[in-house]
Amino acid sequence: MDPILTAFGLVFDPSVMLVILGAAVFGMFVGAMPGLTATMATALLVPVTFFMDPVPALGAIVTATAMAIFAGDIPAAMLRMPGTPASAAYADESYLMARKGQLDLNLGVNVVFSALGGIVGVFFLVLCAPSLAEMALNFSSFEYFWLACLGLTCAVFIGTGDPLKGFVSLLLGLAIVCIGIDPAAGVPRFTFDNVDLMSGVNFIAVMIGAFAVSELLRGAVDLHRQGHVIVPQVGNVFRGVGGVMRRYWLNFIRGSLMGTLIGALPGAGADIAAWVSYAMAKRFSRTPEKFGTGHVEGVVEAGASNNSAVAGAWIPALVFGIPGDSITAIVIGVLYMKGMNPGPTVFTENPQFIYAVFIIFILANIIMVPLGWAAIKSMKQVLRIPRTILLPLILLFCIVGAFAMTNSNYGIVLMLIFGVLGWFMEENGVPVAPMILGLVLGEMLEQNFMTSMIKSDGLWLAFFERPIAGALGALTLLIWLLMLGRGALTALRRPAQA
Amino acid sequence: MRVNDAVLGLALLLLAGTMIWLTTYFPSFPGQDYGPELFPRLLGGGLVLCGLLLVGRGLAARRRGEAWVELAPWWFRGGQALSFLSMPLAVVAYLLFAETLGFIPLAFALLLALFLWFGERPVRAVPVALVATLVVHWFFSGMMRVPLPRGLLNDIL
Amino acid sequence: MNEVSRRGLMAFGVAAGAAGLLARPALAQSRYPTRPITLLCPWGAGGGTDATARIIGALLEKDLGQPINVVNRTGGNGVVGHSAIATAQPDGYTIGIITVEIAMLHHAGLTNLTYKDYRPLALMNEDPPGVQVSASSPYKDIKELAEAIKAAPAGKMKASGTGQGGIWHLALIGWLQAMGLKPDHVRWVPSNGAAPAMQDLAAGGVDIVTCSVPEARAMLDAGRARSLAIMAPQRNPQFDTVPTLNEKLGISYSTGAWRGIAAPRGLPDEMAKTITAALERAYKAKEFTDFMNARGFGTVWADPDGFATFMGRSDAAMGEAMRAAGLARG
Repeated sequence: MDPILTAFGLVFDPSVMLVILGAAVFGMFVGAMPGLTATMATALLVPVTFFMDPVPALGAIVTATAMAIFAGDIPAAMLRMPGTPASAAYADESYLMARKGQLDLNLGVNVVFSALGGIVGVFFLVLCAPSLAEMALNFSSFEYFWLACLGLTCAVFIGTGDPLKGFVSLLLGLAIVCIGIDPAAGVPRFTFDNVDLMSGVNFIAVMIGAFAVSELLRGAVDLHRQGHVIVPQVGNVFRGVGGVMRRYWLNFIRGSLMGTLIGALPGAGADIAAWVSYAMAKRFSRTPEKFGTGHVEGVVEAGASNNSAVAGAWIPALVFGIPGDSITAIVIGVLYMKGMNPGPTVFTENPQFIYAVFIIFILANIIMVPLGWAAIKSMKQVLRIPRTILLPLILLFCIVGAFAMTNSNYGIVLMLIFGVLGWFMEENGVPVAPMILGLVLGEMLEQNFMTSMIKSDGLWLAFFERPIAGALGALTLLIWLLMLGRGALTALRRPAQA
Repeated sequence: MRVNDAVLGLALLLLAGTMIWLTTYFPSFPGQDYGPELFPRLLGGGLVLCGLLLVGRGLAARRRGEAWVELAPWWFRGGQALSFLSMPLAVVAYLLFAETLGFIPLAFALLLALFLWFGERPVRAVPVALVATLVVHWFFSGMMRVPLPRGLLNDIL
Repeated sequence: MNEVSRRGLMAFGVAAGAAGLLARPALAQSRYPTRPITLLCPWGAGGGTDATARIIGALLEKDLGQPINVVNRTGGNGVVGHSAIATAQPDGYTIGIITVEIAMLHHAGLTNLTYKDYRPLALMNEDPPGVQVSASSPYKDIKELAEAIKAAPAGKMKASGTGQGGIWHLALIGWLQAMGLKPDHVRWVPSNGAAPAMQDLAAGGVDIVTCSVPEARAMLDAGRARSLAIMAPQRNPQFDTVPTLNEKLGISYSTGAWRGIAAPRGLPDEMAKTITAALERAYKAKEFTDFMNARGFGTVWADPDGFATFMGRSDAAMGEAMRAAGLARG
């Protein structure tokens, strides 16, 4: 029998559909809770999948992760509290949109473009997994070093107003990554013989602190003034999404492609994809000045990007057993357990299972729209809760979420420190987002720099010797030069005008 | 709390200085010119540069009459300042008592205290605190298997 | 109030949906264990240790009738998790999976903990390192590779597989020493685990990867890498075409990464017996064998005494290799 037909039979089985639906609701919930990540949801599903057939087992994971990455956008927009790290890049933008009264539009855009981005990712997974994986496989530490540099360049575009303070924030983030065991020599740095510090600074706990707790601090002061209240709207979530689509279709396409590509690279996942896409959107926007004021353009691009990265990460995982992110690292284990050993042969030996995974992927992204709509509807009730009740409740979620990241009080301590620090930074015009970006990229930068230097016996030229590395390196240097030149030009012109 | 850029810059200089000083104690990487001290030193250098620029900017602003430290007016209104402090204080209280009291009693007490402090009526505060505590505990501890501290209820749960 | 009940309803819906997924047996019992047990894992989700912990946890849960919660305490090259196990209350409700790193961390000066700080319960798994090269590598077998290493100037060839001073690095050092070469004759390129190292091998970044064969498996199956030998006394039945070092080079060097279950030192005898007995039943269960075989992980069993002796030997061997390579501190 034709494997595609068999696959359809496998998926459209009542019990499988039930599992998918259950996993979707589960993923939606986990994603919407700050501190509970898609990776945790997957790890929890593993013992359950021991006792399942391959298709429902993989279906549960695929569906739960796709939902979680979208659902992270909901609390980001409503409470400035990214539900998963993948939503951090545009949490501020979404929150500002909500405060401008565009919560419905924002969430509608998020759910629609998440689903569409996911489908684009699956499309590439189906059509060109082997060739994309081949490309990803050619990346060595030299290429990753340049990618990390390009990623850091994004900081220039995400920071607002004051470039100097944005740079301070980025450097702080990179410096914080140095705490813990150094990635090359394996020696502890800045740990003061403390066991917790040896594990480094957990970036999700930091994110919960810097975004959500700092907002709570402001909220507690404003409580008596009733400022900053998001007016709950009862409008139609999907109104206006069509217009956004017509206007920003290019952003959607670019975001989905970039997300798939970054997702396919082992060592870079949905969170980095969102940062890069957000920065790209601003760089190529006709109205970059609107970014950071509650502008939908970056949300479209980054929202599509992080969901397409979820599918993209499966590409190297299926073809070479190389995890594209922490979720697929777990998936590879499940694949082995179910006798679907990753490798090019997986497409020939068990094609019906692979097609079934693809079908579930598409299905998951389709049901994301109605389920996401339901989740938004019910989550919006949260905003009707009086702030005297809401603020303490959010604090409790922050505490448990931060605790869950390290399974110890250390996570809560980090959250508290970075909550207060984040509040202080924003009071003084130092943006928080570049610091988070530094945390995301810091280890990738240092690890790949150090290993590259070891491989090349200390020769700098090696960073340009391999063709892809050379091209990426030249591109990075060119961008930096252009930015420097432009900065110098504006600096020269300013006194002339004055 | 707005501080003058010079103060920020000074704090950065101190931080970067300490960082660079600490790297001198790092062991070197066998057979390698660059060791674990390289990145912290580069970043420290960058922070020193930024710190100096900020000091310069801050001093210029100071000459234009900006204060060293400027506290928002709400700091001097007792209620609002306490509301602000109530958030970090609640977290500190959680850190101190979580092990002994356990999640359920402590989360309930903290929620209730914060609700009441923010001016919620007890009729509403008590049931909401109770239900919220139990739902969070059920979801995180039961479903997601996060090891929330058991404390007093160690033998019951 | 309305909101709260609505949220409750939503939560109930999730519960109903997920109840089937996460069913927990909740049999009330008067004998130990009477409440959930925490199984600490020093490594993160997605790795082999986490997977092993979760299958053991699932089987113990069925056996003991109480939920076993696998809790990841990660970071610090395993220091965080291993400390958490050693310093937990010895009340029988916190146990953990300890790994070969406990025999290495104190030599590296990262912690004072040694295997003596635990009450061993059972050894469950050991994986020997393999020697992998890229498919495009000119070395067809381990002999050719060994000759090439000997002929190359020190530091010319590069190997990877884990961080600096990690278990696969020590495996390389042990092998080099057994061939009469200096520990740094092949330069170690630290990596963030075996999967990135294998990718770097395929991308042409390094010459050799000395991770375990199951970790290299996907790349082997994809035809991107070849496994030339394993550093073990005998071949692995799951990968029976890969010879041992002894067969091809006459070097009897062998080592391995191992995983076992342990508790804080003060655990009462009665409880230790209960858990060890349950672990033995889990070890013999078909699910465990199937799972470990599917992943290609080796299974070994040692009771508490055997596990303690085993760890003592491992500790001495690791210490020796690390001192030889100048990786020991403190």
